[in-house]
Amino acid sequence: MAIFQRLAHGPMAVHELAALVPVSRPAVSQHLRVLKDAGLIRDSKEGTRRVYELDAAGIARLRAHFDQVWDKALGAFQSSAEKASPQNDKAGEKDDKRRRKRRRS
Amino acid sequence: MTRDGESGVVRKSVRVQTPIERAFSVFVEQMETWWPAEHHIGTKPFASIFVEPRAGGRWYERAADGETCDWGRVLVWEPPHRVTFSWHLGVDWKFDPSLERASEVALRFTADGPSATFVELEHSKIERHGEGYEQLRELMNGPDAWARTLREYAVAANAGVNA
Repeated sequence: MAIFQRLAHGPMAVHELAALVPVSRPAVSQHLRVLKDAGLIRDSKEGTRRVYELDAAGIARLRAHFDQVWDKALGAFQSSAEKASPQNDKAGEKDDKRRRKRRRS
Repeated sequence: MTRDGESGVVRKSVRVQTPIERAFSVFVEQMETWWPAEHHIGTKPFASIFVEPRAGGRWYERAADGETCDWGRVLVWEPPHRVTFSWHLGVDWKFDPSLERASEVALRFTADGPSATFVELEHSKIERHGEGYEQLRELMNGPDAWARTLREYAVAANAGVNA
């Protein structure tokens, strides 16, 4: 059962998907409906058949997530890098970190 | 908008008032001083974050009690100019060990005079997280599992957008 993964490789129709998984075609249709309601896939008419494909909005959500993560992280990194003078602030802490690493290995 | 084929890439940059060696060092050796504390994988808050200084090295967090939790791998190690990590966390912030489903976070440090550094970040291949992340096996367990998994997915996805 890998409907979502099959669709990652390109759009497919219900009967094509049903041929690939060990469940009935109505069950496949139901799964597709849930995926669609969740915004993970979308369907479209291609001639006489209806094909399903991954919804780029799902990827957009991931992208928005990482966008925020890195905004926040890099802002904090900048503050940390500019906060103390290079000479005296972290030498002791770095040594401490190396000691801890050595202890563990 | 993004170009075709670029939807899975996030790019950021920041200029820091510090020499390149120190900028690199703060990034990889003092990560716990700036990494957002709520973004951890382990069950406990991290006390330290370690980057093993070599290609193939581990990137992991360590709690106060010594418990460690992997974050990823060092893919490129060229101090003080470049470091690249594999990134194994989707929006659910759960670790997926598969490198095939991992994205990549590449950092490039460029000296901007003797006392400033330009830091560029490129988080690429993030579409790889999509493949596993609604946990297909659970979907086989019936409507309850389906609904629950997708609800959790929706909560996670919305949290990522709205937080």
